[in-house]
Amino acid sequence: MNGWLWTATVLLAVGFGPVVWAVATGPVGRRVVAQNFGTSAVCLVMLLLAQGYQRPSYTDLALVLAVLGPVGTLVYARLLADDLSPHPPHTNLLTAAAALATTAVVVAVCAATGPGRAMVKLLVTGALLVAGNVIASRAVSGGYRNAEATSHG
Amino acid sequence: MADVLTVLALLLVAVAATAAVAVRDPARQALVLAVLGLALAVLFTVLQAPDVALSQLAVGSALTPLLILLSVRKVRRRGQREDGGR
Amino acid sequence: MGRAAAVTAELLAWWLLLMAAWLVFISTVDALEGFVGAGCALLGALAACGARRAMGER
Repeated sequence: MNGWLWTATVLLAVGFGPVVWAVATGPVGRRVVAQNFGTSAVCLVMLLLAQGYQRPSYTDLALVLAVLGPVGTLVYARLLADDLSPHPPHTNLLTAAAALATTAVVVAVCAATGPGRAMVKLLVTGALLVAGNVIASRAVSGGYRNAEATSHG
Repeated sequence: MADVLTVLALLLVAVAATAAVAVRDPARQALVLAVLGLALAVLFTVLQAPDVALSQLAVGSALTPLLILLSVRKVRRRGQREDGGR
Repeated sequence: MGRAAAVTAELLAWWLLLMAAWLVFISTVDALEGFVGAGCALLGALAACGARRAMGER
């Protein structure tokens, strides 16, 4: 167990533990937000695990999750829109927290990797993760419904 | 101490799987199922099986929820139509 | 004539972007990977052009 793996353990317990609880209880809006945040948390855990086990190829997992996680959240935002629209959940705080954590983890892992193609891959993964989280959060909280209504109105 | 990560991942999988069984509404169950898929992916990675984790992520994060939600929507729509026809 | 040039420029931009992504994501860089990547990037660029046009006509 090195520092990376300990950090991954702590992130898994603090970030993903509450997600499991939040996704199993409460209104639909909170569950979708929890699922979205869980995707980001697990993606960061994958990055830390790849660094902790000294296996750069494990970052592929984080990359796949950064692409597919927001897609899953968009599926929920589209198909549960009737349940979400009366009380759109507030996502700003969690999105900011996820973006901050992503920045911190990606910068730390990049510093450990050193310059090169691997670092560019890590940066692309981090950028995809933050962008996907922002888009999915906005879709869940109804940002695109309002934009569509004004543009077609 | 080296097993802390494995034990934590196993614990999360157990809790998420129990929650997936306990939740009754299929649409909400799909959400818990997605989180269970994430927990399983972490467990597979911790057990040094990234290929299994990769396929788990690919299937569990987008494909399973889509199939479940589309089926739920179709079943509900058919139920409404039969109610209206009566 | 201007339209064809615009389409070619867009295709080339997409191709360069996708080729760069391919070169970053593969583990070892060699000639065969380059050829396969060029083909895949061309297919992806065509798909991206089509998707953008479909979105623009909405």
